Amino acid sequence: MAVMTQTASPDPVQPASGGDRIARFFREYYIYFVLVAVVVLLSVANLDKFDLFERGNFLNQNNIINILRVSAPLLTLAGAFTLLMVSGYIDLSVGSAMSLSAVIYALLAINGVPFLPAFALTVVAGAGLGAINGFLVVRLRITPVIATLITLSLYKGLALLLVQDGVSAIKSGGGLKMPSWFNTYGRVGTFLELPAAFWVAVIVTVILIVAQNRTLLGKYAAATGGNPTAAKLSGINTGAIVFLLYVIVGMTAALAGIARSSFMSLGDPLSGDGMELTAILVVLLGGTAFSGGEGRVIKSFIGALIIMALTVGMLTLVPAYFQTLVLGAALLAAAASNHLVSRKESRS
Amino acid sequence: MTVSTATEATARPGRRLSDEAFITSLVAAVAVGLFIVASVAVPNFFQPLSMLNLITNNWAVISLGVGVSFLLVSGNFDLSVGGIVALSGVLAVWFAQAPDGANALSTGFGFPTWLAIVCAMAGALAVGGLNALFVVALRVPSIIVTLGAMMVARGIAQVITQGSQRNTNLPDDFGVLGNLTMFGTSVKLPVVLMIVLVLVAVFIEKKTVFGRLTYWIGANPVAARLSGINNALHLTRLYLFSAAIAGAVGILLASEFKSGFSNRGTLMEFDALVISLLGGIAITGGFGSVIGMVFGALILAVVTSAATGMVLSPDWQFILKAIAVFLAIVTQTWALARRNR
Amino acid sequence: MTGQEPDAVLSVENLTKDYPGVRAVDDVSFSIQSRTIHCLVGENGAGKSTLVKMLTGALKPTSGTMKVRGADYRPGNPHDAREGGIATLFQELHVVDELTVQENLTLGMEESRFGFLVKSDLDRRVVATLKAIEPSIDPATRVSRLSVAQKQIVEIARAASSGASVIIMDEPTAALSEREVERLFGVIRRLRESDVTVVYISHKLDEIFDLGDAVTVLRDGKHIATKPLSEVAGRAELIQMMIGRTVFQSYTPRDTVTDDTVLVARNLSNHLLQDVSFHINRGEIVGFYGLVGAGKTEIARAVFGADRFTGSVHFKGKDIGGSPERAIASGIALVPEERRTQGLFTSMTIRENIPVMNLRRLSNGGVYRSSAERAAAVEYVGKLSIATDTIEKHAEKLSGGNQQKVVLSKCLFADADLLLLDEPTRGVDVGAKTEIYAIIRDLADRGNAVAVFSSELEEVLGLCDRILLLFSGSLEEEIANGPEVDVAHILHVVTGGGEHAVQ
Repeated sequence: MAVMTQTASPDPVQPASGGDRIARFFREYYIYFVLVAVVVLLSVANLDKFDLFERGNFLNQNNIINILRVSAPLLTLAGAFTLLMVSGYIDLSVGSAMSLSAVIYALLAINGVPFLPAFALTVVAGAGLGAINGFLVVRLRITPVIATLITLSLYKGLALLLVQDGVSAIKSGGGLKMPSWFNTYGRVGTFLELPAAFWVAVIVTVILIVAQNRTLLGKYAAATGGNPTAAKLSGINTGAIVFLLYVIVGMTAALAGIARSSFMSLGDPLSGDGMELTAILVVLLGGTAFSGGEGRVIKSFIGALIIMALTVGMLTLVPAYFQTLVLGAALLAAAASNHLVSRKESRS
Repeated sequence: MTVSTATEATARPGRRLSDEAFITSLVAAVAVGLFIVASVAVPNFFQPLSMLNLITNNWAVISLGVGVSFLLVSGNFDLSVGGIVALSGVLAVWFAQAPDGANALSTGFGFPTWLAIVCAMAGALAVGGLNALFVVALRVPSIIVTLGAMMVARGIAQVITQGSQRNTNLPDDFGVLGNLTMFGTSVKLPVVLMIVLVLVAVFIEKKTVFGRLTYWIGANPVAARLSGINNALHLTRLYLFSAAIAGAVGILLASEFKSGFSNRGTLMEFDALVISLLGGIAITGGFGSVIGMVFGALILAVVTSAATGMVLSPDWQFILKAIAVFLAIVTQTWALARRNR
Repeated sequence: MTGQEPDAVLSVENLTKDYPGVRAVDDVSFSIQSRTIHCLVGENGAGKSTLVKMLTGALKPTSGTMKVRGADYRPGNPHDAREGGIATLFQELHVVDELTVQENLTLGMEESRFGFLVKSDLDRRVVATLKAIEPSIDPATRVSRLSVAQKQIVEIARAASSGASVIIMDEPTAALSEREVERLFGVIRRLRESDVTVVYISHKLDEIFDLGDAVTVLRDGKHIATKPLSEVAGRAELIQMMIGRTVFQSYTPRDTVTDDTVLVARNLSNHLLQDVSFHINRGEIVGFYGLVGAGKTEIARAVFGADRFTGSVHFKGKDIGGSPERAIASGIALVPEERRTQGLFTSMTIRENIPVMNLRRLSNGGVYRSSAERAAAVEYVGKLSIATDTIEKHAEKLSGGNQQKVVLSKCLFADADLLLLDEPTRGVDVGAKTEIYAIIRDLADRGNAVAVFSSELEEVLGLCDRILLLFSGSLEEEIANGPEVDVAHILHVVTGGGEHAVQ
């Protein structure tokens, strides 16, 4: 993936013209404008009374808390997924990994494992799932799309197998009972009335922003995606970088699975279905190049907020069965605009 | 032509099997081998009926696999086919439903069946056109485009069916196509159409310029364009071709079940990709064959029905598919590398 | 040659590398003096690149030893090589466009604590090194905004600041203009003054005489000679050592040139070209000569319809429209600049490569005739002496010269009346070059029109009847080839000395 050929652009550095500077400013900050636009749009469209923050309106406190609460899984995933795509790789198995983690976490909890060990074990399991992806891609050199399609199927199968036949998810029943603490993590408000799962997403994102800007991992990920041969010749172990990124993505997928499973109070083997598409959508929306090298963790985080605001906000405007259509259209639009922008840049 | 003869060149037509024929034979051998193993090891597997069923139960996926294979050979994904299956089925039903239904889901346009089918095909081709537009004109990676198009197609189907299905108020002749049995046997029309489709596809692939163009474009799109091939036109045709197949499959399924179900065809795009990969088609483009894909479908069918025969939970199918694709890719890469060392 | 001089910075002894069935490097021993510019020459396939790969740790020798300053040197990968003091500048650029110049300079050498980047002396040092060799590059610029030559200098600065005592440069001037080459040579000479040894690999012999202190010649994997360039009696001797025979390339006027114009291009303009107008006659070989970036490839691609442009192209009196498909249909064929990425289907066989530009000749109402395809392949493999035992050989397994012959076969099969040849002999060994020249002359003798786009003056002077000189996207001058051609004048024009270039 990401076969880079050096484009021989004969024109040397030119001082930026005024229009050029505006264009670059827009490229840099457009995502924030989109977020504001979406929020304004949904607020106006849903205006019940002429008071923005009242119950029933989009900007109502409870509504915002609710949106941020259900956003936790996606927000957790977006950053790591961005770094992986910056390095020129992709993981289509995140949805399945998330489902499998949700099932594992619920199974541990329902069998009496306390919160912290269950949490830790699930994250370790997620790291293992990521490591399998890394192994297939880095050691066996299977194309990332295919390798992670294989594990998409594998993890999904395992998640389904872990749930008994005839039952749709891990939940109380048959002599076993979900512990009472189970949904605290994803649902019960802590600081600012937001649940721990949301704050974990924020912490993970902050860590990844620091990692991208201040550590070898971030720089080497950009180098690996931008020019893999150059990275290798500089003595960078690109294989190790990619492997590590897959493991990190696996861990965040596990955190996302825990958040989702806690929020829904059950271990649903299909809970992560389609998450890979949402993740790609969010990352592309944030301006990450599909060919690697380019992309910021923070922008994907904003992209995730936009998508969640849209999906939740939309429910008040149109029936739920419009969701697939809107997300699909958004994916196409994000991919197209992203490509047009990056093509223009490489030409200038 | 006068040329100095510094280098000595004796050219003879190669008698050696081409790489492609080699991989296809490998896949065929594995399919047959697995079939024999399953016949011996799995109780009740070896029955004349079950052999026939291996093909007939998979007519939809094999048909989709034809379009998907051609696109893979050209170096492009098509993951939209499952969505198109749902969309065209729903559209056909919607257009055919009488306009006087009791509620929204039983009210349609009252078109005659043939017209409903034509309109549904138009809808399918529109999605194919969408794929082509984004891949060819905007140069967005095909995997993203076709996943997005899959969501759009299924999304439209969900809107039309309000998230469930339309199955009432249909004319009687709507169910004919999908249930018509042929030649006095229990073989249904869709199966026969699938066989015809595969034969035509093999002919196109091996014997026509159209087929050859697909390989050149897949092997090196830049060189293909500079060699006078109209890549854009060819890829557009391939996406329309694949969408047309998916549209027809969707209509036949809708006719068979007399319903337009927005979740029909879920994961079919995945299965079509899986059988193509099992059949030795390289996603890097320029390599593979429809025959290989058919044998790939056989492998998958044998494995899954053997699993059912051994009373494994249906949840196993995902794991088995994963393992099969993994093994196929690893062995094919290994075998080709060894052969061309 | 086994005796090791005291001041040798790098030496190899009895170095051998075997591939299955081929001995690529055969018992090679020589040493390189410290603080010199040491040139490495040889035809393609002489073993240069295998030798370099062993020096950089990309390949392990089958037997023999390498020594850096007398100590055993066994790099396992490029990183080891760099630690051992040997850095390499490859033909393709190895900079990361998405990072800044400074980030590129420190790439792989960063100081870190627990994975966190820390400010260090390194940043100051790399910037100082860059300033010393090329002050005009701002370290904070993103590399994507630099020109090819500037990117190359960034790479050299990185190698120099990594503390490399030897920098290997593999054809560094392949993509540079004459002016940029001069700048690069300045950089290389400054490197030598700062105690860096440069191993310089190039096909361009003039560069070697201009720049080098000593030269090592390889032929067929064997070491032929290592000696100071002052002891080499000119190009002829060097070529003699490289190929074991004398090649003399010179123009003899051809009498098949007609006045029958087939192609008229008027006012071609695009992002680079400015109002380029010219015509080409039947039976004529027209050369387009200019530095890289002067617009040769752009003209070829515009005429062929591969890129957008304004202006008009009339072929045999008709407007042929803007696509390669229509250009080929009306009788124009292009041998593109980049053989492997634009000309060949490397994963396909010779047989499958040849017919692609003329499918009508091989089909009946859309049905493909495989037997005709095989016959065509056999015919062209014979005609062009493509060195292969079977037409079923994959194009990627052929040598550069034979690959280029396959690309030429594609064009010949197209029965084109006008052939556009963009750098027809780039990366092709001397033997195949001569053969390709013979093919081109033969084509023109039969009444075809040929346009050769080349950045090798020797090639244009040896081959073309008429030469169009380009500079920075505009057509500066047209000269007829012949014994009285003023080479100094040509160089003057293409480096920006022409009348149009007043800016």
